[in-house]
Amino acid sequence: MEFRLILHEHRNAYENMAIDEAILKKGVPTLRFYKWNPSAISIGYFQSILEEVDLEECKKNGIDVVRRITGGGAVYHDREGEITYSFVCSEKLFPNILESYRIICRCLAKGLHHIGLNAEHTGINDIVVNGRKISGSAQTRRYGNILQHGTILKKVNVKKMFSLLKVSKEKISDKKIKSVEDRVTSIEREGIEANDNEIIEGIVKGFKEVMNIKFYKADLSKEEIKIAENLRRKYESKEWNFKR
Amino acid sequence: MKVRNGILKGELKVEGGKLIKCLIKLKDNKIEEIRFSGDFFMYPEEKLEEIEKALKNVSIEEIEEIFDTSFKNVEIIGATKEDFINLLKQLIEKD
Repeated sequence: MEFRLILHEHRNAYENMAIDEAILKKGVPTLRFYKWNPSAISIGYFQSILEEVDLEECKKNGIDVVRRITGGGAVYHDREGEITYSFVCSEKLFPNILESYRIICRCLAKGLHHIGLNAEHTGINDIVVNGRKISGSAQTRRYGNILQHGTILKKVNVKKMFSLLKVSKEKISDKKIKSVEDRVTSIEREGIEANDNEIIEGIVKGFKEVMNIKFYKADLSKEEIKIAENLRRKYESKEWNFKR
Repeated sequence: MKVRNGILKGELKVEGGKLIKCLIKLKDNKIEEIRFSGDFFMYPEEKLEEIEKALKNVSIEEIEEIFDTSFKNVEIIGATKEDFINLLKQLIEKD
């Protein structure tokens, strides 16, 4: 099985979501890695932006907010604090949804093992290290294809995350922050020194081993770029972001 | 929990699953407006909009039937059809 490997640096939230959907639309089997600049909040397809996000605080801090095409929860994508992956393949490869989460998350967990983390898949879409969440993923199925994307935390700042998300303010006591800090971890917090290349190399290796994938490095096709340019307008629009 | 302008608001954390939130406005014991939100997964995603449309002008007694007829060929991850129904019923019955 051959997959395209795309290594992207920073892009803004709307471009990133548009590119993921463009790849999904064309369905070329792909694993892409990317980052977010400016830092951004992405909310799940079914979430209410007004209920989940402190838009004023985001504006003040220059944080973009975008609705994803995938379900799941709100995520803070720090410019330097995480790496995002997206994985696209034909739906035929994984007819069963939960099974596809299991296999893709197993690739990620195995990949994190390669940089020295004792990572394992838990629940539906989380990866934990010693019981603390280090990665969350979300999946959609459209155009006969699957898109699963997710984040891998390099550094974590729970206080900042809370200031941007609408966790009812009175509940953000130090105790609550502490309890979230106890449930979340990052590569840095686990005492691992790994740069982006090493993290990506590890994860790619995880996919090779678990799914027996061979990768070739390439970028988006001209057609995908064109589709993404059009889709970017959707992801920037109030109509899309405020639909719930 | 009741919020402004006769809009009812409630949420359900599914054990071992995700969170479903619901906002509804009732008129003459029927659903006038309804909006679900949350961090669950649903395939295909558009089914949620379909069920919201189908639930308009529906009374509490008819809710289950509407879900049974409109919520076919849909897969929910992190919640079940029954979770949606229960949240809705609890919310309306509390009113």
